[in-house]
Amino acid sequence: MLKLGGWRLEPRPEPSRALVFAVSVGAVLAALFVTGLIFWAYGHNPVTAYRDIFVSTLGNFRGFAEVLRKTIPLLLAGVGLVLAFHAQFWNIGAEGQILAGAVAASGVALFVPVGAPWLLILMFAAGFLGGAVWGLLPALLKVRLGVSEIITTLMLNYVALYGVQYLIYGPWKGLSTRGMPISDTFVPAAWLPTLTGTRLHWPTLLLGVLLAGAVLFLLTKTTLGFETRVLGQSPKAARYAGINLGRTTALLVLVAAGAAGLAGVGEVAGLHHRLVEPAQLSLGYGYTAIIVALLARGNPLAVVLTALLLGWVSATGDVVRVTLRLPAEITGVISGLILLFLLASEPLLRYRWRRVGREAIPVPVTAPVQEGGR
Amino acid sequence: MRRLICLLVVSLFTTALAQQEQVTAGFIYVGPTDDNGWSEAHDAARQLLDDEFDWLTTIAVESVPEADAEPFIDQLVQQGANVIFTTSFGFMDATVAAAARYPDVVFAHATGFMRAPNLATYTAEFYQVYYLNGLMAGALTESGTVGYVGAFPIPEVKRHISAFTMGVRAVNPEASVNVRWINSWYNPAAATEATQALVAEGADVFAFTEDSPTVIQVAAESDLPSFAHYSPMLSFAPEHVVSGQLVHWDRIYRDILTKVHDGTYTAQNLQDVDYWSLLFSGAVEVGADEEVMINPAFEEPLRARMVSDSELGEVSVYDLVMTRLEQMSQETPAFDPFTGPLSDRNGNEVVAAGATMSPEELASMQWAAEGIEGQWPDEP
Repeated sequence: MLKLGGWRLEPRPEPSRALVFAVSVGAVLAALFVTGLIFWAYGHNPVTAYRDIFVSTLGNFRGFAEVLRKTIPLLLAGVGLVLAFHAQFWNIGAEGQILAGAVAASGVALFVPVGAPWLLILMFAAGFLGGAVWGLLPALLKVRLGVSEIITTLMLNYVALYGVQYLIYGPWKGLSTRGMPISDTFVPAAWLPTLTGTRLHWPTLLLGVLLAGAVLFLLTKTTLGFETRVLGQSPKAARYAGINLGRTTALLVLVAAGAAGLAGVGEVAGLHHRLVEPAQLSLGYGYTAIIVALLARGNPLAVVLTALLLGWVSATGDVVRVTLRLPAEITGVISGLILLFLLASEPLLRYRWRRVGREAIPVPVTAPVQEGGR
Repeated sequence: MRRLICLLVVSLFTTALAQQEQVTAGFIYVGPTDDNGWSEAHDAARQLLDDEFDWLTTIAVESVPEADAEPFIDQLVQQGANVIFTTSFGFMDATVAAAARYPDVVFAHATGFMRAPNLATYTAEFYQVYYLNGLMAGALTESGTVGYVGAFPIPEVKRHISAFTMGVRAVNPEASVNVRWINSWYNPAAATEATQALVAEGADVFAFTEDSPTVIQVAAESDLPSFAHYSPMLSFAPEHVVSGQLVHWDRIYRDILTKVHDGTYTAQNLQDVDYWSLLFSGAVEVGADEEVMINPAFEEPLRARMVSDSELGEVSVYDLVMTRLEQMSQETPAFDPFTGPLSDRNGNEVVAAGATMSPEELASMQWAAEGIEGQWPDEP
């Protein structure tokens, strides 16, 4: 173990909740501090810059509604990722699963002739299935053939991306769009209601919060959840305990990827009302959701907070660019810094410094001093 | 008398209301303002007008995601913008929604087709310029194969390739135009690959739709001539750029902003305002560079190449280009390449004898002109 002066670095048995929280908040603050330096380098007073950002994102109803709107896909995909990470399934494919969900929902909206409440319900069901199928493929490959899910989920993102492009340039291209690569607008029955005067499709937000609660319940109160935790801590122990690893992993990934699929439904039914270019449909939400899930450290309820945080970061984009005239990439820099500080702070949770007292230094064993005998 | 004065006062008051004392114009760009292409051209026009008019303030936002433009429009309105230009087709849904939300703000959307009482549309249309470039390309190709690197297979690009091909074939009836799509507005790597493939297929003159000068540079490496797209690109290959297409968005923006300022345009009367700006408007121009319509290095071969035209008789390609330019620059063009009888490359009649395609038909055209080779998505 590393020693420094009278201090020694040693593993920390189990970090307390308060410590985890404090370290996470510290990482976020450090990221915001460095961003402040960037504002300053661009000639802005960091304090007034942050004040402007806070006022326009949190200081009025519309601004806050935008933050919540950006939170929705991060929340749904993030909750799914927390579940997948619990099962030791390193899903990098939320982006593709979002697209798959959006495609399935768009298919229903464009081609299934049912009326008002049922159409949306059917779209959400189809979107969940679409995402789930997209996640099931790499899950089966991992369980059956031991193929790394990091590679397969990432690659499937591109398959989904080109799949969406194929649809909007090909069979699903709208008849009313003058040949432009977008689908026709959905019928009004496929539009999610929004909060008056905003673009916040609140039913999807509600769904995300409920899902976070449901996943917490699943993890803590059900057999599947118990199996997941055993699996997450030691796959070997899980196998000895008779847990069917393949079945458990597949089930969890189905739910996790389905959740990302729901995020895709929200984007098309709540916002675009048609199938659009993949890069427009999801602004990298599937990748940002990885940060959301890591920051939540496995706690599905914490995802509500971390999604809100990253949703806020992404909503600051328009203020930062219009009011402060900073380049477009700044929001990416902020989320990147949060991730960086988060990973860098990890050792703080796993190790601690302990003062090494004199008494703690092992005393060399010497031969007992002979007393007397003179 | 008193009533008259009242009336006068009221009418003065309303004119004062209609006339915007100060105009704050917001511009939303799809790319960075230094892309050497689309967004840079819009921004150059904005700066020009900002300097030109005391009553005008401008705010610009670059690299705005197309399907998420509304929060940016919100910000511009909060900053006091009373005219907003959204300068890419993909902003259409966002602009329509924002126009409904801010009924007092004047909106104008580039290349779109949806209008509202406070939402106009505008485009600087290049098909005449492409036809003229095609005439020159037809004279310069020795192999009889002209290469074209296309961005997206959408009506605008298809129309331009067809117009270009019709120009090529007017001079060189046996020539073909080989098309490769890169499915991107800006992708130098894909453009390089496509150009090299076209060179391998035997193409010896190049034109393209992409926002970088890549095609020009790659063609020049093989010592082959090309046509600049969208912005002055002569400097990237001074001995190889023949001519090209130039845009002057300021012509359209000046007209719209002046009319908003003097009260001609209000947030109530834009339902039918659509700028389809051709050569006559000055918004588009034939040129390799500002003031260089045809690279002097290519004047000689263009003058040497003779063609026989049904109405002009035996004429050099150079003179043919000049005549067509003059005819198409009139307010009511005396020549239009999209005049029937025209057949597509599969032999189907697409324009009847004597008919000329309307802007609406051109805006949605999907067919490929005779002489085009290669993939053509959504071919009727």
